[in-house]
Amino acid sequence: MKKPLIALIGNPNSGKTAIFNLLTGLSQKVSNYPGITVDRKIGLVNYNKIQFDLLDLPGTYSITPETVDEGIVSEQLLTWIHNPELRPKAIVSVIDASNLSRNLFLTSQISELGIPLIIALNMMDRVREQNNEINIDALKKLFNAVAVVPMSATEKTGINALKNEICKSINTSISINNTSIEIPSEIAEVILPITSVLTSYFNISNQIANSISLRLITRDSALMSYENLDLLSDSQLSKLKKTISECRITLNENGHSSNSIESILRYSWLDAQIHEKLIIANTDVKKKSKSEVTDQIITHPIFGPIIFLGILYFIFQSIFTWASAPMDFIDSTFAVFGDWLVSTLPPGLLRDLLVEGVVAGVGAILIFLPQIIILILFLCLLEDSGYMARVAFMMDNFMRRIGLHGRSVLPLMSGYACAIPGIMAARTIDSWRERLITILVLPLLSCSARLPVYTLLISAFIPSTTVWGIFNLQGLTMVSMYLLGTCTAFVIAKIFTKFIPQKGNSSFVMELPPYRVPMLRSVFNEVYQRAKAFLTDAGKIIMAISIVLWILASFPRMENGESVSIHESYAGRIGHAIEPVIQPLGYDWKIGIGLLTSFAAREVMVSTLATIYNVEQSDDEFVSLKDALKNDKKSDGSPTFTVLVALSLMVFYVYAAQCMATFAVVKNETNSWKWPLLMIVYMSTLAYVGALVVYQGGQFLGFT
Amino acid sequence: MWENIMTLAELQMDDCATIKEIGNLKPRLLEMGLIPGTPIRFIKKTPFGGPIEVKVRDFYLSIRLDDAKSIIVSR
Repeated sequence: MKKPLIALIGNPNSGKTAIFNLLTGLSQKVSNYPGITVDRKIGLVNYNKIQFDLLDLPGTYSITPETVDEGIVSEQLLTWIHNPELRPKAIVSVIDASNLSRNLFLTSQISELGIPLIIALNMMDRVREQNNEINIDALKKLFNAVAVVPMSATEKTGINALKNEICKSINTSISINNTSIEIPSEIAEVILPITSVLTSYFNISNQIANSISLRLITRDSALMSYENLDLLSDSQLSKLKKTISECRITLNENGHSSNSIESILRYSWLDAQIHEKLIIANTDVKKKSKSEVTDQIITHPIFGPIIFLGILYFIFQSIFTWASAPMDFIDSTFAVFGDWLVSTLPPGLLRDLLVEGVVAGVGAILIFLPQIIILILFLCLLEDSGYMARVAFMMDNFMRRIGLHGRSVLPLMSGYACAIPGIMAARTIDSWRERLITILVLPLLSCSARLPVYTLLISAFIPSTTVWGIFNLQGLTMVSMYLLGTCTAFVIAKIFTKFIPQKGNSSFVMELPPYRVPMLRSVFNEVYQRAKAFLTDAGKIIMAISIVLWILASFPRMENGESVSIHESYAGRIGHAIEPVIQPLGYDWKIGIGLLTSFAAREVMVSTLATIYNVEQSDDEFVSLKDALKNDKKSDGSPTFTVLVALSLMVFYVYAAQCMATFAVVKNETNSWKWPLLMIVYMSTLAYVGALVVYQGGQFLGFT
Repeated sequence: MWENIMTLAELQMDDCATIKEIGNLKPRLLEMGLIPGTPIRFIKKTPFGGPIEVKVRDFYLSIRLDDAKSIIVSR
């Protein structure tokens, strides 16, 4: 039998995800909604012998959507309205009780859907802190809710009470008689045609039809959810559209504004009810919260940016220092394991495949995990504490000038770990053009997959000398690569604004939530989910390429079964074939093989070189790759790698579009192959030209 | 008693006012509760014409200067 379904819905910053985590623990399944890469979180809850599925819907301020995430909520609710058999047993509306009226706007929309409603009155600790009180019974009556549960996710109070109420609503079938806001008769008359059209198309009550009509007349995006779900035939849709625009005209003629009617009706009703029924004492905008006082420094025009730069510096410093120990450990463990396999297994194809294909491949994936985990951990902490909203607030002006958005900052920062979570995080940007440009330039930021390439080349070819008294030349080169990518991303973003037209208005509307101590449970959960996604999604591709590469490098076999030299292998032949193209950049055929395999993911370059040099040495030991690169000679006796080749190669890696997984995600997020293709073209051009300029320019100036 | 009518963008730090008219405001701002009659307090602006911060209902909100210019308030 199918388990009963309960849905969680609420404003951003209402603590909805914290409650979801508390209710479900680790029994969460994160998958994507069909067709788009938006996280769909479902958790299994076991309580008092009752099992139910809990669905966590993305946070939103209104049922009418503005972003991709919010579109999910809107479409999910419409699906439930029109398919009663799919409806959840109850909707839990999570509310920030210290911010009642705005949170109740969404609740009042939900309460009209004919689905049993439980109100989770979260953050009661803050309400008490403000010496305020909420009249629970009046609130319950106002929305005809099944229950109102006062609770606090941060103090972990009220969780069991909420579970009890959910179980009660599962066990008893409740006859729903939700209330709805009072619509003045003059307006009810105006929207009547829309309501009649809806009730003639669908088997829904007048109350639900009224509620939908109010949204349809107010906003165009409300109709988009109908179109996306294919709920209406073309003729029905055009008739509905015609009716809506006619009603809008009548409404505007009567002295109302159609694009504000729902908000004005709902808030007028809510404000009056809250006042009359004494649900909460009147609020005073003059009151200064603790966060406001803190913000006098954090978002100060001078100190704010300094603090932000300090935090950035600290994060990157920690990534490099904290991650090196676990990375060395993973590296040496895999080397030891490879040696052990070599000495244990009988020589042959299988052993070679295991050691050089599988073990090397898995090692190449795991080695990034420490850095990715550390960066994601910091970003989650900053996001959960409320700081990232302040960064967006401070950076919006600069970002807007280069064609981006205040909300681009977080995705861009994630991009230093991996472009994929960054591209997904861009969903919160409500303007289409700014979201698209953020996605397009994001892969220019040096992700952690480039780091091993930089590290290998820098440690092998850049001397560790001190320049200008304080800087280490190796460190300086590394920083330059990161800066090169970042600055180019800003320039390219500005260029794109000239070619990509604006769809609708750009806007920046951002709540600055109160500062709070991040809940470690939620943070660890998030880090775990993202690390897992990286290992499975990127891991699969990297693993497959690693094996294919081994095959290319080890075949064809000679007649006696011995492997041929890598020169004559398939990989060698491909490398030789593309050598004329990459020679102007200073690369030979071995680097050519690395460039090709990097198309799976950039870090594969390192394991490719490792494989090539291992295969070439054709003894059964792992040699130090650094030394192998330094000692390698071309056929004419000159070294394959010089400082100039290393620099040219690093610049190539800063720019090159080499990550198949990224393109797949961009295709999903933008719903078109056009944008990933554009990305490949512009990035490859940048990479080739950039590396060419470095190598040829360097030679012209007399460097080697 | 006379009313002082101005746009939200013209308020100074810590000024309190009441929203009068919302012109052609972004629907999302209306859904967040910025409707006529709502008290609002100006918190701060950012340099070079960046977004401003206000307190409305029980929360702090940042919006761009252009949006603030389309909100008429009375002090």
